[in-house]
Amino acid sequence: MLKLSDELHRQVMAHGASAYPFEGCGLLLGRVESGVNLVTGLRPMANVWPVEEEKRERFRIAENDWRDAEFAAMAADLDIIGIFHSHPDCEPVASPRDLNWASWPGYSYIITEVLQGEPTHSRSWQLKADRSGFLEEEIEIE
Amino acid sequence: MTTIRIPTPLRPYAGGESTVAVSGGTVGAAVDDLTQKHPDLRQHLFDGDKLRSFVNIYLNQEDVRYLNGADTEVAENDTLMIIPSIAGGLN
Repeated sequence: MLKLSDELHRQVMAHGASAYPFEGCGLLLGRVESGVNLVTGLRPMANVWPVEEEKRERFRIAENDWRDAEFAAMAADLDIIGIFHSHPDCEPVASPRDLNWASWPGYSYIITEVLQGEPTHSRSWQLKADRSGFLEEEIEIE
Repeated sequence: MTTIRIPTPLRPYAGGESTVAVSGGTVGAAVDDLTQKHPDLRQHLFDGDKLRSFVNIYLNQEDVRYLNGADTEVAENDTLMIIPSIAGGLN
Protein backbone atom coordinates (compact mmCIF):
# COMPACT_ATOMS: atom_id res chain seq x y z
CA MET A 1 0.00 0.00 0.00
CA LEU A 2 1.04 3.57 -0.73
CA LYS A 3 -0.03 6.39 1.58
CA LEU A 4 0.38 10.07 0.84
CA SER A 5 -1.35 13.32 1.63
CA ASP A 6 -3.77 14.96 -0.75
CA GLU A 7 -1.30 17.85 -1.08
CA LEU A 8 1.55 15.56 -2.12
CA HIS A 9 -0.68 13.75 -4.57
CA ARG A 10 -1.66 17.10 -6.05
CA GLN A 11 2.04 17.85 -6.47
CA VAL A 12 2.58 14.52 -8.24
CA MET A 13 -0.32 15.31 -10.57
CA ALA A 14 0.91 18.88 -11.14
CA HIS A 15 4.37 17.61 -12.04
CA GLY A 16 2.85 15.35 -14.67
CA ALA A 17 0.87 18.27 -16.05
CA SER A 18 3.92 20.54 -16.16
CA ALA A 19 5.88 17.92 -18.09
CA TYR A 20 3.12 17.40 -20.67
CA PRO A 21 3.32 16.43 -23.53
CA PHE A 22 6.36 14.59 -22.21
CA GLU A 23 6.59 12.14 -19.36
CA GLY A 24 7.52 13.65 -16.02
CA CYS A 25 9.20 11.70 -13.27
CA GLY A 26 10.49 11.92 -9.74
CA LEU A 27 11.11 10.08 -6.50
CA LEU A 28 8.87 9.35 -3.55
CA LEU A 29 10.56 10.03 -0.22
CA GLY A 30 9.45 8.81 3.16
CA ARG A 31 9.64 5.60 5.07
CA VAL A 32 8.30 2.08 5.15
CA GLU A 33 6.01 1.35 8.09
CA SER A 34 4.64 -2.17 8.52
CA GLY A 35 4.89 -2.79 4.81
CA VAL A 36 3.22 0.49 3.87
CA ASN A 37 5.14 3.00 1.75
CA LEU A 38 4.41 6.27 3.54
CA VAL A 39 5.31 9.30 1.43
CA THR A 40 6.36 12.45 3.26
CA GLY A 41 8.15 14.26 0.45
CA LEU A 42 8.82 14.35 -3.27
CA ARG A 43 11.87 14.99 -5.38
CA PRO A 44 11.03 15.85 -8.98
CA MET A 45 13.70 14.51 -11.32
CA ALA A 46 14.75 15.44 -14.81
CA ASN A 47 13.57 13.11 -17.56
CA VAL A 48 16.91 12.48 -19.25
CA TRP A 49 15.64 10.16 -21.99
CA PRO A 50 18.14 11.01 -24.73
CA VAL A 51 15.74 11.60 -27.64
CA GLU A 52 13.57 14.65 -26.98
CA GLU A 53 10.59 13.62 -29.07
CA GLU A 54 10.52 10.15 -27.51
CA LYS A 55 9.99 11.71 -24.07
CA ARG A 56 6.31 11.69 -24.96
CA GLU A 57 6.41 8.00 -24.13
CA ARG A 58 9.69 7.40 -22.34
CA PHE A 59 11.43 8.53 -19.23
CA ARG A 60 14.77 7.88 -17.65
CA ILE A 61 16.31 9.05 -14.40
CA ALA A 62 20.07 9.66 -14.46
CA GLU A 63 22.07 7.59 -12.03
CA ASN A 64 23.99 10.65 -10.82
CA ASP A 65 20.69 12.40 -10.12
CA TRP A 66 19.55 9.39 -8.11
CA ARG A 67 22.86 9.47 -6.22
CA ASP A 68 22.28 13.13 -5.34
CA ALA A 69 18.74 12.32 -4.24
CA GLU A 70 20.05 9.50 -2.07
CA PHE A 71 22.48 11.83 -0.30
CA ALA A 72 19.76 14.45 0.18
CA ALA A 73 17.38 11.82 1.55
CA MET A 74 20.03 10.59 3.97
CA ALA A 75 20.62 14.14 5.20
CA ALA A 76 16.89 14.53 5.80
CA ASP A 77 16.63 11.10 7.47
CA LEU A 78 14.30 9.92 4.73
CA ASP A 79 14.38 7.00 2.34
CA ILE A 80 13.62 6.70 -1.35
CA ILE A 81 10.54 4.50 -1.38
CA GLY A 82 9.30 4.79 -4.93
CA ILE A 83 9.14 6.48 -8.29
CA PHE A 84 6.42 8.63 -9.80
CA HIS A 85 5.96 9.26 -13.48
CA SER A 86 3.24 10.37 -15.85
CA HIS A 87 1.64 8.79 -18.90
CA PRO A 88 0.62 11.52 -21.35
CA ASP A 89 -2.70 10.66 -22.98
CA CYS A 90 -2.51 7.08 -21.78
CA GLU A 91 -3.97 5.18 -18.87
CA PRO A 92 -1.76 4.92 -15.77
CA VAL A 93 -1.04 1.23 -16.08
CA ALA A 94 2.48 -0.13 -15.68
CA SER A 95 3.60 -1.07 -19.16
CA PRO A 96 5.86 -3.84 -20.48
CA ARG A 97 8.49 -1.13 -20.86
CA ASP A 98 8.06 -0.15 -17.24
CA LEU A 99 8.50 -3.83 -16.41
CA ASN A 100 11.60 -4.28 -18.55
CA TRP A 101 13.28 -1.36 -16.84
CA ALA A 102 11.99 -1.86 -13.32
CA SER A 103 14.40 -2.32 -10.46
CA TRP A 104 13.45 -3.99 -7.19
CA PRO A 105 10.19 -5.22 -5.69
CA GLY A 106 9.17 -2.94 -2.83
CA TYR A 107 9.34 0.40 -4.59
CA SER A 108 5.97 2.00 -5.33
CA TYR A 109 5.54 3.03 -8.96
CA ILE A 110 2.78 5.62 -8.99
CA ILE A 111 1.69 6.63 -12.46
CA THR A 112 -0.50 9.62 -13.29
CA GLU A 113 -2.55 9.84 -16.43
CA VAL A 114 -2.39 13.28 -18.08
CA LEU A 115 -5.02 13.86 -20.77
CA GLN A 116 -4.54 16.88 -23.03
CA GLY A 117 -2.40 18.45 -20.34
CA GLU A 118 -4.82 17.79 -17.49
CA PRO A 119 -3.95 15.17 -14.86
CA THR A 120 -6.87 12.84 -14.25
CA HIS A 121 -5.92 10.17 -11.74
CA SER A 122 -3.11 7.99 -10.49
CA ARG A 123 -2.65 4.29 -9.92
CA SER A 124 0.25 2.64 -8.17
CA TRP A 125 2.10 -0.59 -8.82
CA GLN A 126 4.74 -2.78 -7.28
CA LEU A 127 6.97 -5.26 -9.04
CA LYS A 128 6.14 -8.87 -8.18
CA ALA A 129 8.73 -10.69 -6.10
CA ASP A 130 9.58 -12.95 -9.06
CA ARG A 131 9.86 -9.89 -11.36
CA SER A 132 7.27 -11.38 -13.72
CA GLY A 133 4.95 -8.38 -13.68
CA PHE A 134 3.45 -5.58 -11.66
CA LEU A 135 0.71 -5.83 -9.08
CA GLU A 136 -1.51 -2.86 -8.44
CA GLU A 137 -1.38 -1.54 -4.92
CA GLU A 138 -3.92 0.51 -3.04
CA ILE A 139 -3.29 4.25 -2.77
CA GLU A 140 -4.53 5.85 0.41
CA ILE A 141 -4.76 9.63 0.07
CA GLU A 142 -5.18 11.37 3.40
CA MET B 1 35.50 -1.38 7.26
CA THR B 2 33.79 -0.09 4.17
CA THR B 3 30.11 0.80 4.46
CA ILE B 4 27.50 -0.15 1.87
CA ARG B 5 24.23 1.76 1.89
CA ILE B 6 21.33 -0.55 1.11
CA PRO B 7 18.44 0.68 -1.07
CA THR B 8 15.17 0.84 0.87
CA PRO B 9 13.41 -2.16 -0.76
CA LEU B 10 16.42 -4.42 -0.24
CA ARG B 11 16.70 -3.81 3.49
CA PRO B 12 14.41 -6.73 4.39
CA TYR B 13 17.07 -8.94 2.77
CA ALA B 14 19.84 -7.27 4.78
CA GLY B 15 18.54 -7.77 8.28
CA GLY B 16 16.52 -4.56 8.05
CA GLU B 17 19.67 -2.46 8.08
CA SER B 18 20.18 0.66 5.97
CA THR B 19 23.94 0.19 5.98
CA VAL B 20 26.16 -2.85 6.21
CA ALA B 21 29.85 -2.83 7.12
CA VAL B 22 31.85 -5.05 4.79
CA SER B 23 35.43 -6.09 4.28
CA GLY B 24 37.40 -6.42 1.08
CA GLY B 25 39.98 -4.33 -0.69
CA THR B 26 38.01 -3.81 -3.89
CA VAL B 27 34.46 -2.98 -4.87
CA GLY B 28 33.96 -6.53 -6.09
CA ALA B 29 35.26 -8.04 -2.86
CA ALA B 30 33.13 -5.69 -0.78
CA VAL B 31 29.97 -6.61 -2.69
CA ASP B 32 30.86 -10.30 -2.42
CA ASP B 33 31.24 -9.88 1.33
CA LEU B 34 27.84 -8.18 1.45
CA THR B 35 26.14 -11.07 -0.32
CA GLN B 36 27.95 -13.61 1.82
CA LYS B 37 26.69 -11.84 4.94
CA HIS B 38 23.20 -11.54 3.45
CA PRO B 39 22.75 -14.25 0.79
CA ASP B 40 19.14 -13.27 0.04
CA LEU B 41 20.44 -10.01 -1.41
CA ARG B 42 22.28 -11.78 -4.18
CA GLN B 43 19.26 -12.52 -6.38
CA HIS B 44 18.36 -8.81 -6.37
CA LEU B 45 21.83 -7.64 -7.29
CA PHE B 46 23.12 -10.36 -9.59
CA ASP B 47 21.88 -12.20 -12.64
CA GLY B 48 24.19 -15.22 -12.61
CA ASP B 49 27.69 -13.97 -12.01
CA LYS B 50 27.06 -10.46 -13.30
CA LEU B 51 25.43 -7.48 -11.68
CA ARG B 52 21.91 -6.99 -12.97
CA SER B 53 21.82 -4.54 -15.82
CA PHE B 54 20.08 -1.83 -13.78
CA VAL B 55 22.41 -2.11 -10.77
CA ASN B 56 25.14 0.51 -10.44
CA ILE B 57 27.71 0.75 -7.68
CA TYR B 58 28.98 4.12 -6.56
CA LEU B 59 32.13 4.62 -4.54
CA ASN B 60 31.48 7.77 -2.54
CA GLN B 61 30.37 10.13 -5.36
CA GLU B 62 31.72 8.14 -8.32
CA ASP B 63 30.14 5.47 -10.50
CA VAL B 64 32.71 2.67 -10.42
CA ARG B 65 32.12 2.00 -14.13
CA TYR B 66 34.14 5.17 -14.68
CA LEU B 67 36.82 4.13 -12.22
CA ASN B 68 38.12 0.60 -12.36
CA GLY B 69 34.86 -1.32 -12.11
CA ALA B 70 34.80 -4.20 -9.66
CA ASP B 71 38.57 -3.89 -9.30
CA THR B 72 38.32 -0.35 -7.95
CA GLU B 73 40.13 -0.20 -4.63
CA VAL B 74 38.18 0.76 -1.53
CA ALA B 75 39.48 2.10 1.77
CA GLU B 76 38.32 1.82 5.36
CA ASN B 77 36.13 4.90 5.45
CA ASP B 78 34.70 4.66 1.96
CA THR B 79 30.98 4.36 1.34
CA LEU B 80 29.51 2.27 -1.44
CA MET B 81 26.03 3.01 -2.70
CA ILE B 82 23.80 0.79 -4.82
CA ILE B 83 21.97 2.96 -7.35
CA PRO B 84 19.35 1.63 -9.78
CA SER B 85 19.00 2.72 -13.37
CA ILE B 86 15.35 3.66 -13.75
CA ALA B 87 13.46 4.11 -16.98
CA GLY B 88 10.04 3.34 -18.33
CA GLY B 89 7.28 4.58 -20.49
CA LEU B 90 4.31 3.69 -22.58
CA ASN B 91 4.06 0.50 -24.56
